[in-house]
Amino acid sequence: MEFEPLIWDIAKLFFLFAYLVYIVFAVVAVRQVYLMTQTIQVGFEFVLKTIAWFHLFISIAVLLYAFVTL
Amino acid sequence: MPELYTSGNKNISQDAAPHNPLASFCLRPEKIKFETQEAQEKVILFLRQHPIVNIPWIVIVIVLFFAPRVLEFFPLLTFLPERFQQAALILWYLVLMAFALEKALAWFFNVYIITDERIIDVDFHNLIYKEVSDAKIDKIQEVKHTMGGVAGVMFNYGNIYIQTAGAQPSFDFESVPNPSGVTKILQELRTEEEIEAIEGRVR
Repeated sequence: MEFEPLIWDIAKLFFLFAYLVYIVFAVVAVRQVYLMTQTIQVGFEFVLKTIAWFHLFISIAVLLYAFVTL
Repeated sequence: MPELYTSGNKNISQDAAPHNPLASFCLRPEKIKFETQEAQEKVILFLRQHPIVNIPWIVIVIVLFFAPRVLEFFPLLTFLPERFQQAALILWYLVLMAFALEKALAWFFNVYIITDERIIDVDFHNLIYKEVSDAKIDKIQEVKHTMGGVAGVMFNYGNIYIQTAGAQPSFDFESVPNPSGVTKILQELRTEEEIEAIEGRVR
């Protein structure tokens, strides 16, 4: 068993885990934007929700990209 | 509802500004509503921190955005294969995006609302902690405002400290624009509430 490939496998797992944690953050952000726009409506809700969903979409895309390329 | 804000009385509250969802100081906004608003309750003043308070974190984001360029001169990650260097770079920008998003949301949702009946303080500390508190106008005992620092004086913003006899003894409106104007509006509302109480009027 070679040592070097194992190191890069661990590194890959580290990055995938980090991206996964980021997706959790993005989901929390979407949820919190929905809760806060219920708490207070200022006429900017659609833009905020779009940004939050776009952010979540990016974080998922990054994880998929990392899963393929790493 | 206090007549100051419904009759033809000309005072500070009559100088309404057009509604802007990103505004920090909005008099008698028509579109703003909040969760616990009662049917007859009217929003007199909507406040959030002055936009200038965002400058420090925006500068940090800009600096950190270009920080990976520095690594070209100090190649700390060159021991990594190309694909891992790229992954590290993406992770860096993700964390930076999270920081900017959290700061922007905290500014946007950290608001103070003054209605004809009460004051509401919505504190959005971070993505997992928020706090909403309110107090009746007639429970306000003391209002104090401070303005300090070069930026505060230049851009006319400061803090307002409100002492109440309610469940939450104090409200702090931090870095809000035109603190003396806000204090004046609160005084007008308190006066009107006192008159209502003396006359025995109920909305």
